[in-house]
Amino acid sequence: MLKYKRILQNGIPGFLLLITVYTAPSLAQDNAPQISPTWLWGAAQLVPSPQWVTKDPGLRFGLRWQVTPVLYSFGLNHRVNRWRFLVVEPLARQNGSLEFYISPEYLDLGHSAKDHWLVRGGLRAYFPIYRYGEYVSGSFSPAIYSYQDKQGISYEAGVYFFFGILGFQATYAPALETGRWIFTIRLRYF
Amino acid sequence: MTKLMKLLFITLIVVSVSGCTAIHSTINATGRNIAAFLRTPRKIENKITDPYLPAARLAVLWIGHATVLIQIDDKIILTDPNLMNTVGQFSKRLVEPGIDPENLPELSAVLISHMHIDHLSPASIDLICEKIHQLLIPQGGMVYIPDFAFSIDELAEWQTWEKDGLRITAVPAVHNGWRYGLDGAWMKTSFTGYLIEYNGIKVHFAGDTAYDRDLFIRIGERFPDIDLTLVPVAPIHPREYSKARHTDPAEAIQIFQDLKADFLTPIHFDTFAESADTLGEAVSILRKEISAKGLADNQVVILEHGEQYTYLRQEPSQVAGN
Repeated sequence: MLKYKRILQNGIPGFLLLITVYTAPSLAQDNAPQISPTWLWGAAQLVPSPQWVTKDPGLRFGLRWQVTPVLYSFGLNHRVNRWRFLVVEPLARQNGSLEFYISPEYLDLGHSAKDHWLVRGGLRAYFPIYRYGEYVSGSFSPAIYSYQDKQGISYEAGVYFFFGILGFQATYAPALETGRWIFTIRLRYF
Repeated sequence: MTKLMKLLFITLIVVSVSGCTAIHSTINATGRNIAAFLRTPRKIENKITDPYLPAARLAVLWIGHATVLIQIDDKIILTDPNLMNTVGQFSKRLVEPGIDPENLPELSAVLISHMHIDHLSPASIDLICEKIHQLLIPQGGMVYIPDFAFSIDELAEWQTWEKDGLRITAVPAVHNGWRYGLDGAWMKTSFTGYLIEYNGIKVHFAGDTAYDRDLFIRIGERFPDIDLTLVPVAPIHPREYSKARHTDPAEAIQIFQDLKADFLTPIHFDTFAESADTLGEAVSILRKEISAKGLADNQVVILEHGEQYTYLRQEPSQVAGN
């Protein structure tokens, strides 16, 4: 558990600092669109993605929400600011990017709140597969989760269509006794 | 029958008898689109393989939708290239592109009018990127243009780009600049029309626009003696939605008259299954409007997909000299 806390405390800020130094020239650009959260964006983020978690025997239903505090896009034109905070256009995300995300998830497991809620945070790398990622893109993400007062590492892979609005994600959490696999139909708009 | 099925059934009945044009139009458009997905785009026989016309001063080849190949003397300009089989996987192409990408000549400039997925197609640009010398986009549009090897410039309203005598000015249009919908909150400037000038010839490309009398009169005053205007005539339906965004045939003719242009060629119709208009409807209405307004036959040049038309020719002595 301490090991994971150290990763959280040192690894992620260190990584973000590295990206900041690497991409400092693009921060100087002044032609970035004035993107900020809107009510419509907020409403879109409330739409959950349905998911199914393995529980011997069978599958249990769940819901997943995701928020992106920060993302760096490799797929945008070099003349525009490639950093995004919370609000991320599909091209910026799906055409190659690295995002830090936080994901609260409801799982139909057990009886208490701590059986129902899993939270994970991680770094997800998106890569375009077809037509600048707007048609098809993929992702890979290691994450750290917290469930039933325990922390662990999970690995997630995903494939996305229709500007990233529809996607399929599979998560493998080797240390979880129940819910080792989670399959998500990701619905996400911005 | 479950409650959900009953609710769906009742909703469909209510919609069917309500006369709600917008919902009817959406259902019609969806139905047409589904049907179109089952068909292959209509073939164009005898496609032009060498579109450069040495004897032409002003010629246009309509590739489809808002994709137009404009030749002014030795300069070739392409507008809103979309050579894909669908518009962003949603709307199917009804007619194949009017020219094969490999037969496009070197392009002095490619113009993007706005960010909508039927007008900005990065994959189409990718297909022809080796032929492009310059890409011009509206102000604020760079965020949706991935990196390419050729030069890309944003133009603000009334700003002019110029090279080797070719002048292209961003002129106002009444539309919107979003690509995905929600981005309309901040993509406030990324839509435009263009005015192309070369060797005294002027061509107006309206992009997508609604009608605004004062605006087009102003463009006409600022650029007198426009030779040709390319104006969208669809989608027509549902009119209560489209009127604020798209000109219909009557409004396209009005723009032509406000600009005091010599020729009008309609664009943006019958190429993708993206509206509730029936095939041929826009042209049929346009012909009636031409007749009602008493316009001469040769003032409005209606092109078929893949058809090329020469509006102005060089004098025979000039041709001999070439």
